[in-house]
Amino acid sequence: MSGSGIPAVPHDLPEVPLSSTDTRANRTGSWRHVRPVIAEKAAPCHKACLLHAPIPQVMTALARGDIPAAGASLLNHNPFPAITARVCPHPCQVGCNRGRYDEPINIRAVERFLGDALLHRKGAPPDVSTGRRVAVVGSGPAGLAAAFYLRARGHDVTIYEREAEPGGMLRDAIPAYRLPAEILDAEIEGLRRMGVVFRCGVEIGSDMPLADLLAAHDVVFAATGAHGERGLGAPGEEHLTRGLEFLRGVRRGEITSASGTVAVVGGGNVAIDVARTLVRLGARAVVLYRRTRKEMPAIEEEVEHAIADGVTFEFLTLPVVAERVDGHLRLTLVTMQLGEPDRSGRRRPVPVPGSEHSFECDGAIAAIGEVAETKFLPKEVLDEQGWARADKATGATAEGWLYLGGDLITGPATVSEAIAWGRRAALAIDRRLRGEPPAAPERLLPTVSIKGINLDYFRRAPRTVQPALPVETRRLTFEEEIGGIDLVQAMEEAARCFVCGTCTVCANCWAFCPDAAIELGAEDAIPRVTLDYCKGCGICVVECPRGIIALVDEAKVEVRA
Amino acid sequence: MNTGWGGMNTGWSELSREEYLHPGHVACQGCGAALAMRLVLKATGDRVMVVLPAACWTIIDGSFPTHALRVPLLHTAFETAAAAATGLRAGLDAVGAPPTTVMAWAGDGGTFDIGFQAISSAAERDEDMIYVCYDNEAYMNTGIQRSSATPWGAWTATTPAARPQDRPKKDIVGILAAHRIPYAATTTVAHPDDLVRKVTRALGVRGFRFLHLLAPCPPGWKVDSSLVIKAARLAVASGVFPLYEVEDGVRLTLNMSAPTVPVAEYLSLQGRFAHLTEEQAAHIQSMVDARWVDLEDWHLRTHGGPPIGIPSALDGHGRPGDVVPHG
Ligand SMILES: Cc1cc2nc3c(=O)[nH]c(=O)nc-3n(C[C@H](O)[C@H](O)[C@H](O)COP(=O)(O)OP(=O)(O)OC[C@H]3O[C@@H](n4cnc5c(N)ncnc54)[C@H](O)[C@@H]3O)c2cc1C
Ligand SMILES: Cc1ncc(C[n+]2csc(CCOP(=O)(O)OP(=O)(O)O)c2C)c(N)n1
Ligand code: SF4
Ligand code: SF4
Ligand SMILES: [Mg+2]
Repeated sequence: MSGSGIPAVPHDLPEVPLSSTDTRANRTGSWRHVRPVIAEKAAPCHKACLLHAPIPQVMTALARGDIPAAGASLLNHNPFPAITARVCPHPCQVGCNRGRYDEPINIRAVERFLGDALLHRKGAPPDVSTGRRVAVVGSGPAGLAAAFYLRARGHDVTIYEREAEPGGMLRDAIPAYRLPAEILDAEIEGLRRMGVVFRCGVEIGSDMPLADLLAAHDVVFAATGAHGERGLGAPGEEHLTRGLEFLRGVRRGEITSASGTVAVVGGGNVAIDVARTLVRLGARAVVLYRRTRKEMPAIEEEVEHAIADGVTFEFLTLPVVAERVDGHLRLTLVTMQLGEPDRSGRRRPVPVPGSEHSFECDGAIAAIGEVAETKFLPKEVLDEQGWARADKATGATAEGWLYLGGDLITGPATVSEAIAWGRRAALAIDRRLRGEPPAAPERLLPTVSIKGINLDYFRRAPRTVQPALPVETRRLTFEEEIGGIDLVQAMEEAARCFVCGTCTVCANCWAFCPDAAIELGAEDAIPRVTLDYCKGCGICVVECPRGIIALVDEAKVEVRA
Repeated sequence: MNTGWGGMNTGWSELSREEYLHPGHVACQGCGAALAMRLVLKATGDRVMVVLPAACWTIIDGSFPTHALRVPLLHTAFETAAAAATGLRAGLDAVGAPPTTVMAWAGDGGTFDIGFQAISSAAERDEDMIYVCYDNEAYMNTGIQRSSATPWGAWTATTPAARPQDRPKKDIVGILAAHRIPYAATTTVAHPDDLVRKVTRALGVRGFRFLHLLAPCPPGWKVDSSLVIKAARLAVASGVFPLYEVEDGVRLTLNMSAPTVPVAEYLSLQGRFAHLTEEQAAHIQSMVDARWVDLEDWHLRTHGGPPIGIPSALDGHGRPGDVVPHG
């Protein structure tokens, strides 16, 4: 048979009409008035992730059991998944498209699996050394992340830390039942294996002026956090312990028990951690918060855990006086009501006149906010109020050699935001050290909503849940309360992911095209439309499971081209 | 492993990357019949000759002297697909041609109605051919006239809403099976792996093999061209068009477990059912339910156990590739 498949006419047959050419001569693409455009989109999880981790790619690789590929994708945006899997509030999960079908992907559990799997494997020294030197001030998540990405790019990195051990809030504040010290230690070991140098017990400013660092380094990245604690600002405030001080004491083993009723003033993460820690030390914790539960800045899930632990809450309550009475503490409380919204958009609490009443307790801890200390910084990088200023995209400041990030800039925020600052600064510093111009800002693609997902292709499947200590046990111990999942579970959970907006080369668009007008390329290349023959039926648009193909009016395409 | 295959499917590895249907054919946008040919030829490869009676496909193949297939195709008269294929087979055998499969390819009108005598006699003689009926459920090429494959209640040009025809779709697979042919099966364009498996099975058998292939027609079904696959998928998922195969006319295997999608969901996608009342839709549902009971009975008699396979619910009916083997 010839190439066209049409046999030659045997000459002893009577003459029959026999086709001599094929239909490829018909450019049926000219019938089209709408055009399928194949272009990848952003998944909602990716957009919501504070680190913009490539979650669909991670899930795709892990669903195959390919831990190295999944890990490489993840580490590119998140150097410490074992940490974030334990403490990040995971906004990524909130908007997960799968949540509008059955249950959202348990991204946290998958991240935890990967983070733990990689924990002791990470940390190879860089292949090349640039010989350029960077000082990182502060070893919280921002500093550690910056060190990770700078070192990976071949720069010499030294971290200067005021405390005896590195980790910042990860070591001194976040309680062990949420983030065991071994996890942090293992991450720091990984950084040491990479060749990051730690100089602990050095406070920049007092022990060594910031300017001195410059003599030995090309660039300085400072991420010293927000450690200054606000007091109650009321008579008797000296009777209240400061929240961070208390948590640090517990983590360092200096405080080992508590008893009676202890009031915790505040509504943020620190207040919740203080209260839950008090329960574990043997006390009864009562959180006093001046607004309602709805306005609490603490991570919602943590508030639920605190309630389950037995922590009680008194909302719309503010202490105005603290006094020692017969070996215990008497707080005078006023009842509040919510008034007009303030700058944060939350309604401002205002006292109800004449509502003073007293509250007897055995101790009280104030956790009402932390502020950054900026005295060690040159005044060129401070604003009129004395707050440090830096470019959000790069951490760059008015001083070319000085980059800043993390809680120091934002005030108390999250671990993931701090990591994001560290990563962005590291990438910017790297470009600077290489003499390259600053990168164009990362632009996110349009998002795929649930409407773009063809649910026919996905079976309902239950969400994998992480094991957890029962409440009765966990409230008595500092052992980690949430457990991990195994490889099979992680692969199952990853396989539930729709992989919104990222082409998996499932080949649906190709398989269902009546006009053979979709071309599959090499293994993982995104398919292409053959415009000469595509009639614009739109089948591929509907059958793409993950919302990558859009129908665009042909007239509009022409205008744009 | 859990069943959430969907994020991670395999890229239809069972479908040949080779194309035997050229683009530039002149089927309408979203034509199920064109896709049907493309998918079937991927499974047969090029050792096949196609015999085609009058039908939309006569047009789709292109006007003389163009031709859309990379394999030979013989145009023949409307009522003669099975007879002409019989002759072609005999001719190939007479000249000692290298192994070639003869494939009759006819529409529902050409199969259920006008070609019925020819197909019945070829089946009765167990002629060695694969006969594919691509079913778009009406005489589409001449303007959507009702055939005996048109489902109960569907609008056509000859059965407008005011003059419906109170007859069910003819059970063509049952009729062919009753000829005790070696292999008969149903499949659709929305289930390429089921389709490839069945064509491959048919290729491996000698004698008369019949494939009933549901191929939605956007203008005839009054369905948006982009929803052609969705319509065929729902036809299966709702039980309107169950996937099954019959060996030697006696052993029936359902390739799916009980449908759970309401028939109304299938009907509402298509304008040809738009005029139906709720009672009429309920009547269709009861016919579908009754037919499922019959098929399931037959499957039980054959296998001694219920069918397992793609749960055909939209609740993740996935691909039939998820079929769990029996036993
Ligand atoms: C109790 C508590 C619970 C929290 N829980 C969570 C949570 O569950 N999830 C979450 O995402 N976030 C949580 N956070 C917030 C999170 O810990 C911080 O946002 C994050 O650690 C900020 O990182 P950073 O690197 O900017 O600063 P830090 O972690 O504060 O680190 C700064 C480091 O710099 C050092 N340093 C300061 N000044 C100097 C100096 N002059 N010289 C040298 N070193 C210096 C400090 O000792 C410290 O080690 C919590 C915070 C607290 C306090
Ligand atoms: C003997 C004869 N009667 C009528 C026709 C006109 N005709 C050509 S195609 C066709 C419809 C075929 O219907 P079907 O077999 O269902 O195929 P479809 O067009 O729907 O694909 C008709 C009636 C004909 N070609 N020959
Ligand atoms: S289904 Fe997967 S890709 Fe889509 S939002 Fe959820 S986690 Fe992200
Ligand atoms: S249908 Fe599959 S192969 Fe085609 S664009 Fe969508 S994900 Fe990629
Ligand atoms: Mg027809």
